[in-house]
Amino acid sequence: MSKHKFTRACAALALTLVAGSSLAAEKKLTVGVADALTGGGAVYGLPQANAVKMAAEEINAAGGIKVGPDIYKIDVIAYDDKANPTEATNAVRKLIDRDGVKYILGFCCSGSTSAVASFIGNEKAVMLVGNAAERSITTKKIPNLVRTRPPADYTGQAAGTFIARKGQKRIAVLGALDVGFYAQYVDSVEREIKKVGGEIIAREVFSLKDRDMTPQLTKIRGLNPDAILVVGYVEPAAFVYRQAVELGMNIPRYGFTSGSEEQFLRVTTSEQMEGVWDLRPTELTLLSASKNGIAYHANYTKKYNASPSPSSPYAYDQLYALKAAIEAAGTVDNTEAVAKALRNLAVPPQVVMQYQPVDGKMFDVNGQAYTSNGAFQWQKGKWVFVEDLPSDSKAYSQFLSTLK
Amino acid sequence: MNRILPLLPWLLALALLAVLPQVLTVKYYLHLSILALIWVIVAQGQNLIQGFTGYVSIVQAGFMGIGAYGSTLMGLNFQWPLWATMIMAPLITALFALATGYPSLRVKGHYFAIVTLAFNLIIVIVLVNYSELTKGEAGISNIPKPWGGNREAFYYLALVLAASLTLLAALIARSRVGEILLAIRQNEDLVAALGIAAWKYKLFAFVISAMYAGLGGALYAHFQGFINPEIFGVAQSLDAILAVILGGSGTIAGPAIGAFLVVFLPEFLRFADSFRLILYGLILVLATIFMPIGIVGIIKAAFARIARREVRHGG
Repeated sequence: MSKHKFTRACAALALTLVAGSSLAAEKKLTVGVADALTGGGAVYGLPQANAVKMAAEEINAAGGIKVGPDIYKIDVIAYDDKANPTEATNAVRKLIDRDGVKYILGFCCSGSTSAVASFIGNEKAVMLVGNAAERSITTKKIPNLVRTRPPADYTGQAAGTFIARKGQKRIAVLGALDVGFYAQYVDSVEREIKKVGGEIIAREVFSLKDRDMTPQLTKIRGLNPDAILVVGYVEPAAFVYRQAVELGMNIPRYGFTSGSEEQFLRVTTSEQMEGVWDLRPTELTLLSASKNGIAYHANYTKKYNASPSPSSPYAYDQLYALKAAIEAAGTVDNTEAVAKALRNLAVPPQVVMQYQPVDGKMFDVNGQAYTSNGAFQWQKGKWVFVEDLPSDSKAYSQFLSTLK
Repeated sequence: MNRILPLLPWLLALALLAVLPQVLTVKYYLHLSILALIWVIVAQGQNLIQGFTGYVSIVQAGFMGIGAYGSTLMGLNFQWPLWATMIMAPLITALFALATGYPSLRVKGHYFAIVTLAFNLIIVIVLVNYSELTKGEAGISNIPKPWGGNREAFYYLALVLAASLTLLAALIARSRVGEILLAIRQNEDLVAALGIAAWKYKLFAFVISAMYAGLGGALYAHFQGFINPEIFGVAQSLDAILAVILGGSGTIAGPAIGAFLVVFLPEFLRFADSFRLILYGLILVLATIFMPIGIVGIIKAAFARIARREVRHGG
């Protein structure tokens, strides 16, 4: 080879390498978010969308997703589904058909999530569900769907054991019982308190848009219960807590709401909330025990100038789980391989929630993840983590596998 | 030639819609077009009672729900073929409409609207609470889809049905029944004074309107593959009313145009992010205030103005 030819060959090689590396550096992976950004579900959906965007920025800043020799930077497109099934279908169709998105995150609310889950199995896409707690979402064995939040009845069982241990026998329930997963939570509580001779003496209903719950509370007060259990979205639940105090009901108040301090204080005062229990998955609190949780809370608050809702890390964790699965599968294009990798994933170290792996894996065979459950109590303006609630993720996973 | 001329826009629209799946490269728009065609059926039904008869019914989405759940449950529980359940859906809805229409149509104006609104609320409450049958708020998934979920084929099914039912609405409007419905809208007392049993015609319009909605609901269920009560709430009934008002109440083309608007407009406004619904609401308010005769009404008025000007110049 002549000197000239050699120089030219070297230059060409160098150019190819430079061009190649610069192309690799500029690869982009677009992930979609379909969530309730407006309307009643936005208290859960908007923080979830924010959490995914924040996780994407963190991952990009840390070097992106490594797939073989390529590095992918994450781009997030978020669409509002108003927690409505038709809107959710439209949003996801837009993400898949028009935007060419293969990975869809978010999904705070059960109705809209179930609508998308009904067709996602036929798509070359992977769906990661967050806060939506309806059990049936992960009973259909959809191979390309996983969920970070445990079903409501898994938590209800633990909550029932806790209430039974506290010694209250006659429990009055007030909640959004026409919403399937809230009813499932209450059924699980009832099963547990019945074991110690307790009973649910009233099941009063409010709708998610109701704000005056004094008629139901007055009726409940007349039944002289030992405690009340409130299940529902944050705002109506906050009104119940407030109005119970206003009606002079000085009895223990248990709940299943997952609202942040900020969200409750928009409706009620800290004094009116004092002593309220929230029996829920061990989600984020201001005094979160985990290092990741504290960092997440600080970063989110700095970025969005508002505290994150306790359930928002379900979506944050989705993106880290997806990153780990893509890196394990070694592909962004083969969604089947990524979905499979998700099912075999150990809990990534960056996640915020405290997951209870089943057989060492973050998601069980149903695509379901389990967090520990906890008893949180409102003390002097803050949700304080008091204790873990006994939860058997493996036993529940086996039970879930038996359902259709 | 004069007879063909009014049909020309219809034929053009039909030809355009027929080739649409072949020219659309992004299937998301096909998805929206199918939803819009389903809404054409629902809105044409709404127009019969609202536009022609002058009775604003707020139960159209509730009737959609009866059709959707009727077709789905018959298929799942009795293993009836999909086509049979889709044919049965409007008939079941008609039975409900007969039972609810008879008492509802004894009242007029706002009272009728409120009674039908209450019926819609009752339908949703039953769908939510009778969960042994309807699976409540969690909804029913994996509803069978014709042709294995082939969207293009479903589009043509929806197009044929929407076109046929639009034609049927036009035939009803031009018939003696249609004339009596219009007369009821103008002056119901006068119709009664002529010895015509107005209630029979109102009930006819109400039941046919419900049948349209029932078929629309069944189509929706077998297209989306998922239903829950939320889809059939009062908000969706208001969308049916809006489709009629925006397009042009009491016209045949109006509900078809309005149906496409209520499906496509919120989707096109997604760029506005969380301001989308505010913007959508604003557009609707402005359209209702400044275009009370709807798009078709405005077009007709514009053509009439041009024609008058030509006559004046000619004269």
